[in-house]
Amino acid sequence: MSETFTPPAPAPAAAAGPGGTLLEVRDLVKHFEIRGGLLGVSRIGAVRAVDGVSFFVRKGETLGLVGESGCGKTTLGKVILSLIPATSGSVAVNGKTVFDIPAKEQRRQGRKKVTVGRVEMKELRRDLQVVFQDPYGSLNPRMTVGEIVGEGPLVHGLKDKAKREELVRELLAKVGLNQSHIHRYPHEFSGGQRQRIGIARALALNPDFVVCDEPVSALDVSIQSQVLNLLDDLQQELGLTYLFIAHNLAVVEHISDRVGVMYVGKLVELAGVDELYQRPGHPYSVALLSAIPDPNPRRRKRRLVLKGDIPSPANPPAGCRFHTRCWLRERLGNPERCVAEEPLLRDLGGGHVAACHFSDEISPEVVAQAIGLATA
Amino acid sequence: MERADLTTPLASGALAGAPAEIDEVDLVPVRTYWQMVRERFMQHRLAVMSLVILAVLIVFSIAVPALTGDAYRRSNLAYVDAGPSLTAPLGYNEIGQNQSVALMKATQNSLIIGFVSVLIIGSIGSLVGSIAGYAGGWVDNLLMRAVDVVLSLPFFFLILIIVAFFGVGDVRVIIIAIGITGWTVAARLVRAEFLRIREADYVQAARALGVGHRRIIVRHMLPSAMAPLVVACALGVADAIITEAALSYLGFGIARPEPSLGNMLNNAREYFYANPERIFYPGILLILLVLCASFLGDGLRDALDPRQKVKA
Amino acid sequence: MTGDNGRFATPGGDLLGIEDLRTYFYTRDGVVKAVDGVSFVIGNGRTLGLVGESGCGKSITALSVMRLIERPGRIETGAIRLGDLDLLALDEEQMRGVRGARISMIFQEPMTSLNPVFTCGDQISEAITVHESIGRTEASERTIEMLAQVGIPDAKRRAHEYPHQLSGGMRQRVMIAMALSTHPELLIADEPTTALDVTIQAQILELMKELRERNRMAIMLITHDLGVIAEMADDVVVMYAGKVVEQADAFTVFERSHHPYTRGLLASIPRLGVKRERLEVIRGVVPNPLNLPAGCLFKRRCAYAMAICDNPPPFREVADGHLSRCWLTPAGEPPSVGAEADPETAAAAAAELSMEA
Repeated sequence: MSETFTPPAPAPAAAAGPGGTLLEVRDLVKHFEIRGGLLGVSRIGAVRAVDGVSFFVRKGETLGLVGESGCGKTTLGKVILSLIPATSGSVAVNGKTVFDIPAKEQRRQGRKKVTVGRVEMKELRRDLQVVFQDPYGSLNPRMTVGEIVGEGPLVHGLKDKAKREELVRELLAKVGLNQSHIHRYPHEFSGGQRQRIGIARALALNPDFVVCDEPVSALDVSIQSQVLNLLDDLQQELGLTYLFIAHNLAVVEHISDRVGVMYVGKLVELAGVDELYQRPGHPYSVALLSAIPDPNPRRRKRRLVLKGDIPSPANPPAGCRFHTRCWLRERLGNPERCVAEEPLLRDLGGGHVAACHFSDEISPEVVAQAIGLATA
Repeated sequence: MERADLTTPLASGALAGAPAEIDEVDLVPVRTYWQMVRERFMQHRLAVMSLVILAVLIVFSIAVPALTGDAYRRSNLAYVDAGPSLTAPLGYNEIGQNQSVALMKATQNSLIIGFVSVLIIGSIGSLVGSIAGYAGGWVDNLLMRAVDVVLSLPFFFLILIIVAFFGVGDVRVIIIAIGITGWTVAARLVRAEFLRIREADYVQAARALGVGHRRIIVRHMLPSAMAPLVVACALGVADAIITEAALSYLGFGIARPEPSLGNMLNNAREYFYANPERIFYPGILLILLVLCASFLGDGLRDALDPRQKVKA
Repeated sequence: MTGDNGRFATPGGDLLGIEDLRTYFYTRDGVVKAVDGVSFVIGNGRTLGLVGESGCGKSITALSVMRLIERPGRIETGAIRLGDLDLLALDEEQMRGVRGARISMIFQEPMTSLNPVFTCGDQISEAITVHESIGRTEASERTIEMLAQVGIPDAKRRAHEYPHQLSGGMRQRVMIAMALSTHPELLIADEPTTALDVTIQAQILELMKELRERNRMAIMLITHDLGVIAEMADDVVVMYAGKVVEQADAFTVFERSHHPYTRGLLASIPRLGVKRERLEVIRGVVPNPLNLPAGCLFKRRCAYAMAICDNPPPFREVADGHLSRCWLTPAGEPPSVGAEADPETAAAAAAELSMEA
C-alpha cells in the first residue's frame, strides 16, 4: 500500500454497487471471563458476549445489525476492528485474513493461530474505520478539531503540516463543517457537529469499510436525519461499505441493504432489508418489529409483548436462547426441541437465513393470533 | 451578528445532507482548553489569593537568603535576645541569630523539600500508575501488590529510619525519603485515571486509526490523567512540608545551625514563656504554607474538572 | 369547543393547569430561560404528551410542577393549579404532602433513581408510610400487591431484593409501583422508556396503559420519541427552546400539524415500512439558550422564515383546540399584515392574534 495521501475521492463507476466480499466473519466468539476466587485469578464463569457469529458483507453495501442489550452487537463491532482480541474465530478483509484463532477442539486438530503482524495491522487499519456512538466521549477534549481529524494521516506518514491541514480542510468540508473551525475544540460544538467530526476522522484514511456503532442514537431527533443523510451520501460518493449497528429498527431499515438480528450473543436472522421487515423468519424478529411504537396514533396496534427479561449472556438459556420468551413456542405447545437442540441458521431461500426450528410456522395469521387480534 | 445568506452555495465538495448553518460556534470566540481552565481557576478567590501569597513567599525565600548570604547562621553574641530592629524585624534569638533572615532561609528549605519531593513522587507515581493502568493483566497485578507492600509500611517511621540511617540533617536524604515512601498514592491515582480513560471512545478511536502505544499514552491518556495528579501534588507539597517540619522538630531533620521551620519550633519550645513570639513566627509561616498549598490544590481541582460546565 | 385561553377542552374537567410558567436559571454565563411562558392543562384521566428535544424545557416544566427546582434555578412567575390548589402558594411542608401522594413522578434512569442501599420493598413501603398513617404490615402487604400489579413475578421474594439485582425493565416497574402506591391523581413520567430495550419498552408501555385504565389516572408523559407519544398520548404539547410551539390532541398533531418544527420533526424521522431515498432534514441546530435569536426562536432553521419572524410570533388558534406559535396563517400563508411588516404593526398583529394573556 502506498504512502501517498489522497483525500477520499468519488469511487470509480465500476466499483459502484455491491460487488465482491469485503468482510468475512467466521464463527466469531468472544467470551469475557469472570474471575473470582481467593486471589481473584480463578475463572468462575464467562460472559458469552459473542457466541459463534458468521456473516459476510459485500463491497458497497450496508449491513445493519440490530439487537437489544446483551446481544453482543457492540462487542462484535469491536472484535472485528481488532480493538478487543477475539476468543476464537476468523475475520478477513478484502480476502486477507486479519486473524484466525482456532477454538480448543480445532487446536487439537492441529489448526494454527494466524494473526497479522503489527506493521501489517497498521496498514489494514487504513481500510477499517469506525464511528462511535457518543459524540461527547469520542473526541479528545484536549485536541483541536484539526489535530483530531489529522491524527490518522499523521501516524501513517503524512508529516507535512501544510498538506495535512489541506487534507483536513477538505474532509471538514465534505462532512459539512465550516473549515475555519479547524482550530476549535470539541466542547464548542453541538452533538451533531461532533459526530460529523468523528465521521471526518474516520474518512481521513480513505477506508473501504466503516463500522458505525450507533452513530445517531445519542443525537437529537432533528439532527439524526442530517447525519443519516450524510452517511448515505458519503457511501454513494466514496463507495464505502458500512456495518451499521443500531437498536432503532426504523433507522436501520432506512439505511441498510441487508439486516442481521442478534440475540444474546447469536445471530438469529439475516436477510435483505425488505425481506426481513415484511416476512421475518424468526419469532424474535417478529416481536422486535411488533414492539416498535408507530408515530401514527391511528395505528395504535396491539402488540406482541414478550414476557420476561432478556437473559444474561453470562447465563444463556439452553438450546435456543430465545425459547424462554418465545411466543411461537408457546403457541406450538412448548416443544422440547427448542430446549434440547440449538437451532442453526437455516436457509429460507434467497439468502434469507434464520435460526429457528419452526420458521415455517410463522405467517401473518399466526402472528395476529398470537397478538390476540384475529380469530383463527 | 452576521446572518448567513441562505442562498449561499455550500462549500465545494460538501454534500446536501450537511447544510450550511449559522454556526453557533462562530458566535463564541475561540477558547482553548487551558483558557477555560484559567477562567475557572480565577473564580476561586481563595485559590488565587493562595497563589499570590505563595508567590510572594517564594520570592522572599529566594531573595532574602540570596542577599544576606550566610547571615542566617552567624551568631553575634552582642545581639542575644535583642528585640526587633530595622534589619531584624523579628528580633534575635538566644545565640544572636537574626530571626527574620533565618525564617526566610527556613521557608526556602521547606519549599525546596516540598517541591522536589513531590516531583519525585509525581514522576515515580506516573510511571508506575500509567504502566499498570495501560498494560493491565499481570503487570498491573504485580505493580499493585508492590504498591500494597509499600503502603503497608508506616510512612513516618520509615522516613525516620531512612534519615537516621543515611544521614541526619542532609536535605537530599530527606527529599529522597519522602519521595520513595509517598509515590504510592500518586501511582494509584494515575492508574485509576488510566483504567478509566483506556475505555474512552476517543482512545479506542485512536487505536482504530493505528496510533501506536507510546503516542496514545503520551498524547491521549497522560493529559487527562494529569488533572487529579496535579491536585494531589499540590496537596502533597503541603504534606511534605509538614513531614519535614515534624522530622526537624524531633531532631531528625535539618539540624542547627541550618534553620528549618521544624527546628525553629523546637527551639522556641524552651522559650515559650519568655519569648512566645518565637513559636508564632515559624508556626504561622508553616500554617500559611500548608493552607496556601491546600487551597491551591482545591482551586486546581475545580479548574481542571471538566464537569464544571453549566448545562442549559 | 375551546375553553378560555384556547386550551384543550377537557370533558372531565381539568386536573392540572399551568399558566404562563417561567423558570429561569441564573448561571455564571447569563440567564437561561429554560421555561419561558408555558401554559397548558391536563384533563382528568387524560394523557398529555410533552414532546421536544434536549434543552427544550420539558423536564424543567415537570420539575417545576413538582417544585423540585434548585438554585441557580427559580420559578419566576406563573400559576400551577392542581384542581383548586395553587401549588406555587404552598410552603414546603404542604408541597411534600402533594408530592408522592397526589402527583408522582418516575424518571428515565431507574438505576440512579432508586436508592441502592435499600431493598425495593422498603422503598415502596416508605413511599406509602410517608403519606398515609398505616402500620408496617399493612404497608408491606400493599407493597407486594403493587409489585404484583406491575407485573413482577414472585413479588414477595423480589420485595427483599436490592435494585442492582434487578434488570432495567424490572427496576422501572419498581419505580412505577413506588409512584402508584399512593394512588396519585397525576403521574409525571420523564422519559420512562428511553433507557430501555425495545421489547422491554413495549412491556412497560402496555403496563402503563393498563394501570392508567385501572386507576383512571392522568399522565404527563415527557419524551422525545414521537412513536411513544402516538402510542400513549391523548393530547400533545410540542416545546422548543423553552416555549410551547404547538398543542392539540394527538390525532391533530400527527396528521394536521401546523408549526414548521412539528412538521419538520414528523417528516424527518425514519418510519417503519416507509422507504425513502433521503430523509427530510431540519437544518441547523437548537439555539444556544444563552444566545437566543430575537423574535421566533425557530426562524434560523425554518424553511418558511420571513422578515416578520424577527418579531415574536403570536400563539394563535389555527383550528378548534389547536394552537401554534407561528406567523403563518392556518392555511400556511404569510400573515395578513404581510411578510415584511415593521415591528409596531407586527407587535400589534401578534397581540391581537395571540391566545396568551
